[in-house]
This record gives sequence, C-alpha cells and structure tokens, in this order.
Amino acid sequence: TTTTMKANNDNPQAGQGRPLPKKESDLFKNVVKFYESKQYKKGLKNADTILKRFPNHGETLCMKGLIMNQMANLNNVIGVSDHDKKASGVDGGAHIEDKKKEAVELVKKGLMMDMRSHVCWHVYGLLHRSSQDYAEAIKAYKQALRIDSENLQILRDMGLLQIQMRDLAGFRDTRLRILELRPNSKVHWLSYALSVHVNGDAVAAVVVLDNYMATLEKDSVEFQRNFETSELALYKNRLLSETTLQEDGGVEGIKKALIHLDEIHSVVVDHTGWFSTRLSYQLQLGQFESAKETAFALLERGSTEEYRVHGSLMCALLKCDRDTCREVEKMRGTGTLATLRPLSDEERTILLNAYGTDAIAENGEEDGSDQVMKDGLAKTFPKSAAIKRIYLTLLPPTGEEFKVAIDKYCQRQIIKGVPSLGSDLSSFYLMEVKRPNNGETRNVLAKDPLNVKTHSVYRLLVDLVDSYVTSLSSNSTFPNDSATEHAPSALLWAWYLRSILHEQAAEYSEGISLINKCIEHTPTAVDFYELKSRLLEAGGDIQQAADVINAGRDLDHQDRYINNQATKTLLRAGREEEAAKTISLFTRHEAPAEQNLYDMQCTWYELELADCWRRKGELGRSLRKYMAVVKHYQDFHEDQFDFHMYCIRKVTLRSYCDLLKFEDELWGLPHYGRAAEEVIKIHLHLVDNPDKAQDDEEPDYSKMTSAERKKAKNIARKKKKALEAGSGVGGDNSASSKSNTANNDEKKKKGKPHVIDVDPMGKELLALDHLEEAKKFSAILVRHAPKRMSAWALQYDVSIRRGKMLMALQALSKMNSIDPNDHRLFSRIIDFSQKLSSRTEKCHAASELVISGEFTKLMNGKSLSDFVQMAVDSIKADPVSSLPMRIAVAKAMISVGGSSAAKEASSLILDSKLNAPCVTVETCREAVAFMESLGGGNKERMMMLIMAKLPFAKDC
Amino acid sequence: MGALAIDFGLINADNVEQLKIINQSCFPVSYKASFYEDMAKKQDENLCKFAYWNGFAVGAICTRIEPLPGSPGRHRIYIMTLGVLAAYRNHGIGSKLVTSVLDYFEAQKDEKLFSTVDEIMLHVQTSNVDAMKFYGEKFGFEKGELVENYYKRIDPPHCYILRKKLR
Repeated sequence: TTTTMKANNDNPQAGQGRPLPKKESDLFKNVVKFYESKQYKKGLKNADTILKRFPNHGETLCMKGLIMNQMANLNNVIGVSDHDKKASGVDGGAHIEDKKKEAVELVKKGLMMDMRSHVCWHVYGLLHRSSQDYAEAIKAYKQALRIDSENLQILRDMGLLQIQMRDLAGFRDTRLRILELRPNSKVHWLSYALSVHVNGDAVAAVVVLDNYMATLEKDSVEFQRNFETSELALYKNRLLSETTLQEDGGVEGIKKALIHLDEIHSVVVDHTGWFSTRLSYQLQLGQFESAKETAFALLERGSTEEYRVHGSLMCALLKCDRDTCREVEKMRGTGTLATLRPLSDEERTILLNAYGTDAIAENGEEDGSDQVMKDGLAKTFPKSAAIKRIYLTLLPPTGEEFKVAIDKYCQRQIIKGVPSLGSDLSSFYLMEVKRPNNGETRNVLAKDPLNVKTHSVYRLLVDLVDSYVTSLSSNSTFPNDSATEHAPSALLWAWYLRSILHEQAAEYSEGISLINKCIEHTPTAVDFYELKSRLLEAGGDIQQAADVINAGRDLDHQDRYINNQATKTLLRAGREEEAAKTISLFTRHEAPAEQNLYDMQCTWYELELADCWRRKGELGRSLRKYMAVVKHYQDFHEDQFDFHMYCIRKVTLRSYCDLLKFEDELWGLPHYGRAAEEVIKIHLHLVDNPDKAQDDEEPDYSKMTSAERKKAKNIARKKKKALEAGSGVGGDNSASSKSNTANNDEKKKKGKPHVIDVDPMGKELLALDHLEEAKKFSAILVRHAPKRMSAWALQYDVSIRRGKMLMALQALSKMNSIDPNDHRLFSRIIDFSQKLSSRTEKCHAASELVISGEFTKLMNGKSLSDFVQMAVDSIKADPVSSLPMRIAVAKAMISVGGSSAAKEASSLILDSKLNAPCVTVETCREAVAFMESLGGGNKERMMMLIMAKLPFAKDC
Repeated sequence: MGALAIDFGLINADNVEQLKIINQSCFPVSYKASFYEDMAKKQDENLCKFAYWNGFAVGAICTRIEPLPGSPGRHRIYIMTLGVLAAYRNHGIGSKLVTSVLDYFEAQKDEKLFSTVDEIMLHVQTSNVDAMKFYGEKFGFEKGELVENYYKRIDPPHCYILRKKLR
C-alpha cells in the first residue's frame, strides 16, 4: 500500500482510476458537503488539508476555487451596475477582484490537472453560471456529461440553464434523459411534459402526462381532489385547448378541452378558474346558450364586479364571432363589448333587456324609495356597482335616457364624495375609428383636450355639473330634487368635478379658480392640492406645482401616496435634494435612501431622478440612474431562475407557463422602454457632441435665460467645491475610498455590508463606446417592442450614425407601417433623403437598388422639395394637424428651403393658434426654441400664443 | 340638512398641520409654533381631537386640564381652541366636539386627576356674540369677569371668561 500511496502522491488523479486514499477521500466528501451547506470556511480548510498532501489533485483544486469564488461573490454585494463588479464596499474592490481571479485560476488549474473528471467540468460550469455566462456553462456541463452521462445533478443543472437560455430543444433532450434515468419521479414526468410543451407540441405533452398517469396506482393520491391534482388537471386541460390543427382553426382542441373540463370537475379546486375557462371555450365554440349559463353561474359565484365576465356575457348574448370574443376577453379595466365598438339599436335592446331597462334606479334597500321597479341583472344583483355602470355604456350616449342615467350616477358619487369620479367619467369619451386593415369600427378614447372638448358626453357633463354647482351653492340641493338638502361636501365635490372637467379640456386658469374654491372650503382635503398641482404643472408652472403638492403632503405625513406624488413633482421641478428628503421619509433608515430605493427596485423614482439629471445636463448621473432601471429588469430576468424548479415541484404549471411568457416579453415592457430609450438618446447625444462627456466642462451659458444661467452657475460652483473637498488629483477616487472606510466602520457596527455607490457621477458609463451602447439597446427594443414607434425611430437614429443605410431604411419602413402620418417618421425621411445625397460612399449595387426602390415608395415618388411641399399643403388643408407635426414640417422647410422659407415655416406653426393636438409644455418648448432660431420676433409671437393656452408658462 | 354624522380622530405629529389650517381659517389670532408642537406630542385623544366628515377633518377641539387658581390641588378644563370650518358650521359639529369632552369628564369624574376638576372655562373675545350664545344657550356656561387687553393684535383686545361649574 505504501507504494500505491506514493504513486498517488505523485499523480493523484481520480479520473485515471487512482482514487484518493480513504482519509482524503472522506475529506473531499466533506468539502462538497460544506460547499452545499454554504459553510465555506470549513470547506476551504478541508480542501487545504487535502492539497497539503496532494497539491495537484484536480477536483480539490476545482472545489477550492469554486468555494473561493462563492466567498468573493458574497462579499461583492451587487452594486448599482455591472460596471462596479470590480469594486465593492467591503474589502476594497481590488482585493475582491483579485480573489475572484485567483478562484478562476484555481478552477482552471484543477481542470488542467484532471481533464477527465466530470467533477472538474461540473465545477467549471458552475463557475461560469455564477458569472452568468450561461452559454459557456452549458458547454462545460456537456463536457462533464460526456464523462459521466448519467450524472443526475449535472443533467438537472444543465436543464435549468437550458430553459433559462430558452435552448428549448436542448432542454427537452435533457429532461428526457433525466426521465429515462429516474422514471418513477413525478417531477421528472412533469418537467418532461413541460419541455415538450414549450417546444410547441401540446399533443405530445398530453401523451406524456397520460403516460405518467398510467404509471400510477388506482388509489394514488394523484387522483384525489387536492391542489396539485387540480393544477395538473387544469394544466392538461390547457394543453388540450392548445392542440390546435390548422385545418379546423383550433376548434377540435377546444372541443376536447371542454369535454375534459367536465371530466375533471370533481378534482378541481379553483372553481372560478374552471368556470372562466369553460366560458371561454363555450364562446369560442359558439355555444352561446351554455356560455350564457356559465356567465350567470360566475356572477352568482360573486364575480359581478368582473368586467371581463360581463364582456363575455355580452358576447354570448349577441352571438359574437370568435375573434371578437377573444378581443373582449383581453380588455382591461371597465372595458366590455359595449365599449369595444359601437352597438346597433338591436344589440342595445338585447343587452338592455338582460341588464335591466332602468338599472341605475335607486336601490330600494338603501333608502326605502323603491319607486322604479328594476328588472334584469340590475334586479338580481341590486348591490353591484359594475352592473349600474355597465348600464350607462349600453344607452345611446346622445339620448335622453343616457342623460337621466348619468345625471343620477354623478349625483350619487358627488353625495358620497368619490374623488375618482372625474377619471371614471373620462372613459365615456369614446370615438369611433375605422381600422385600416379590415375596415372594422372600434372605439378609442378621446384623450387630447381638442377631442375631449367637442365630445358630446363631455358637453353633457359640463352642462350637468354647471347646473349642480348653481343649484347646490344657492340651496344645497340638486336641480331636479329641491326637497333633499345635501351636506356642504356635495357642493365641494361638484366644484372638484368641474375643475377636473376643465383639466380634461386643458382650461387651466378656469380649473385653478375652481380648485381654489375647494381649498378655501375644505383646506384639509389632500385631493384638492393634488389637482391644483396637476393643473399648475400642465399649465406650465412646475415650481408652483411642486410647492402646492408639498403643502398637501404636509397635511398628513403618513400618506405615502401623496408623499410619492410630491417627490415626483419635486424631481420634475429640478429640486432633487428636496425630493430625496421627501422620499426618504418612507424608506428604511439604516441604509442611505438612494441605496434602499435601488434595492426596492423603485423604478418610478429612478426614472424621474434620471430625467431630472438629464434636464440639468448631468448626463453621467442620469445614465447611471437609467442603467439602474435596466439592471432591475436584468434582475427580473435572473429571478426566473428560482422558479424553474419551484413551480414544477409545486405543480403550478399554468402560472409557470405564464411566467415564461412574461419573461420573454420583459424587454418590451414600457418602463424598460423608457429607461432604454433615454440611455440610447444620451449616448447618441454624446456621439454628436463628444465634448459633453467631460462633466467639468462649463455649460453653454449663452443659450440660457438669466434664471437658468444663475442656476447653472450655482451648480458648477457646487461641483467645483465638491471636487476640491475630494483633495485635488483623483478627487473622486479618494472620496470614494473615504466613504469606503466609513462604510467599513458601519459594517462592523451592524454586521452586514452596505453597498456604496462607487461611481455616482457615472464616469465609467460616460467612457463607454457610445455608438456601441446605443446599438445594443436599440437592437433589444426593436426586437421586443416591434410595434413601438419610438423604438424604430431610435433604431433609425443609431443606424444612420453607424452608416448602415439599409438598416436605417428598414426602420423607416417599420415606422411607416405603424403610422405613416407620424411626425417622427416625417423628420427622419427628410434626414434620410439628405444623408442619401450627401454621402461619399455607396453600398453594394444590390443594396443601392433596394434603397432607391424602397425609399422612393416612402417619398411617394416625389423629390425632396415636393415631398416637403406636400406635407405643407396637407397641414394647411387640415386645421387640426398636431403641433409636433407642424414643427417637424416647418423645420424641414428651413432645412430644405433655407432661411427664405422662414416666413412660411413660422406661419405653419402660428396659424394653428395652438388649437391643435399635442399642445403640452414640452412641445411648446420645442416650438419656442425653433421659432427663436427663425428670429424676427417669432419667439415673441409664439410666446403670446402659448400664454393663452398654458397660462402659467412664464419661460417656456 | 341638519346634523352631520361626524367621526372623531386623534391629533398627532403627522397630521398637526391640519389643526393649524383649521385654526388659521377659524380664528383671527394665530397661535404660536409651540402650541402646535405641544399638540403634536402625544395628547389625550379625549381632550384634543379632530371632527371628520366624509373622510376629511372639518373641525377640532383642543382642551387641557390646568390648576384652578386660588384653589390648591383643584383643577379645571380649559378650552384652548374650538373651531369648525366655515362651510360646515350650523351642522352641530361644534356641539358634538364640546359634548364629547363633557361626556368624557362625566365618565371619569371620580377617577384620579378628574376627581379634582371643578369647572370648564374659556376666553371669548368681547365682540364674539355667537360664541357666547353657543356656550351659554347650549351648555349653560356663564359669563364671568372681563379681562382687559387679553389679546395683543386684534380689536377689541378684551375678553370675557365663560365658565361652567362641573360639580
């Protein structure tokens, strides 16, 4: 044995059939055990003991490296972005980075020592996984499996990575191998079924589930009524409904699923889910009578306030086609079939018969004045607010009945004092629009003040509320009921509603004078300060808006909602320090508020703060905050890792599928879009103005108003001071190391590490390759939000700067297919045309052919100047052309026709008298800037117009 | 419309601003910051409270127990402020606030400090006929001595003491 020991000593490689001696091999088992139970120090100690005798033992080297890597990760609390990985708050960034490097080196060395060990490859994979390099990790796992093809642990780890990476085929193969190895485990059967499902084969997935069920004993718990059985049954049901065949339009699958749904009724515990699914199937199969019964059953079960159920019920009553039913199922909020599209008289009659011909009538039980007998659903469910509200949407909005009903509706809410009444009513401003693709008519909500003002329902509401105000202020009664006197709050809420109606029509001065009455009447009501602040903001005075909402916030310091609103308004007013103080009233006090908000993934705050920095020209700080939001979304994506195993174990397969879908669509969500778009814009701005990246550069004071100049100089002075405090050369570094030590002290006290922001000024972000960064994000956006105009606009902006003419043109075509009349498209077509003629290099002949062909289409076959003239003519012909379009066309006139076009260009904007859509503080600011560039008193003329529309906009 | 069904709510550091707003809109004198600082400290919610209607504070009463001058060991309830927003007056809110304090005294009259309380009193500006009527007719307060130049910044500067014996 001594000789073998000796041999081991020289080359103790387990993979070569020479295992470690008993003592060391036990120690190695301990190392693995300690790693798994996260007792890293003990694991390290054991590993070192082995290495003392066998310094070249590959598996031990790997394990040691893995443990060291874990320890480094633990200390390296995730910072504010990927860029701080090299620095952390605890042991000093460099140290931890060294540790990680050492760990990686150890693993690599171990692997080199023992390339035929599956353990080494597995560890190598884990190492990649911990640095989120999943593709490399999968490769390493595959190597490990080549050596040990039946290693369950490795197979399982690889499966997780594959589903995370959406290597769907690989995932299915892995799960099949696992199932073959362990065919008696429920989890493996379900995982395999799911892997087949996500590969798009619902039919085969059903077979897998059936096979699994066939392995079970008759009296197995899997057949009894419980949560897991129920979820599995409903999952199988969903699979059945997805077994769609092209020929039958998916109906066969639905038919099967409907039959199956009846079979599983006895084991299902989610009854509401069962009924909803049944309702959906029945509608899709056109079984309208049974669908009606199912909908009634849902209402009986207590779903009377679910607008979706009402929408489906209406579909059943009106026997709608499949597409409409699906469209209605997807509607949100108070949307139903009745708000989706205009109803015919016949349809109205059917629905009114079902819902009750006078559903809004007083509820007899409430006040004993049961004069009008109700019928239909309104009678069956007299307490349902939704049914009363739906009744309003069933009446023709121009008729007398509607007027009477909405009158009652408003009065009731005003007496109660419901602040949300105004926004509730705004969902009645429906306008009919024909869809371009199939000519169907759909309702859209009138939102622009221009459309709201002329809407018949809005006019009606204005008349009603005016009459309330008159009547209530003279004798505390409503116009049509002089017998009932109401509390003083009735007049108050009538004023408030009137003020909101003014807000909806962009009548800010009128709105203010009414809301002032409210505040004088009841100065303790927070809602009034909020509305006043909103009116001031929309009317152009953000500073006063912030002051007013802050006064409202003072009424109750425990009101988190108003605290957040105040914070938001302060940020918009550029008062980020006050905002930070305000928001920190509701953050945890141990950590700095900023860090706490980051940890809580408080996206709205970070977006507003980033906007605030951007407006101040602090591009580094701004980028930093936008990137924090981007990081949150990366974290959301990472977070799904935990669910791959958990959901299967808990058999919540339906929710798991929904989660996978949600994660796939993550980068298309609006908040991510907002952050990513701003990131792109800043990088592009830096591409165009490379000198702006230096943050100690003096801002261009000449372009500012005197107030702005003062502010900007103040900021510059403060910045300088801060730098000097950081003591001369490399001030920023020494400042951060100072806070490092402070942080260390704190850590000792509290025993847990705090993260410090190593790069609050975003200098590292400013040093990146701007075009490359912009390209990265615009590629993500157009892939995940392909229907968003702004995404393609930025894709154009990035591509054109990269000299990629074809990509830029493709972006234009996409924009054209979304909305050919958008001003962003128009200005980019002009830009493209100019770039096309001014460029020095041409593309391949084939590309040139595509470009000239496609672009000629976009230009309607016209020359540049004719194209612009066409736009000018169409604006002149259409008095309600939007302000942004007017600005875009006016700019094009100047850039194509030169300064001689100034007069005509300015009149394009001025002639609108601002009675145009999209008149906001922001668009007006752009208009002023443009008009100023034209000179000749244009700015003053513009300001006159603006002051009439935005009465509080002193300096636009 | 007659009496409003109000609720009572306590005054604390987070909402004391509302007391300030109510008082400022009700009284010609403005109280010192220290008055509100005291109110922000934990007060007996039975002696100081808001009246809520429809979710918003529309009135408030602030009283305290203080030594009765000239009678060592004896005390009185002093009404520091009672205010109801103008729009909500004549709906019985003020009466309910005063009654709630009197009811509290009745329930506690034999307990600890309250067993030493003999009267409830307040100062009323000589011109404030409404207030004298309110306390006199509704609660049986009696007009006491005239205190000259009690107020510094308002005219008339004099006030009466209104008091009601509680035992």
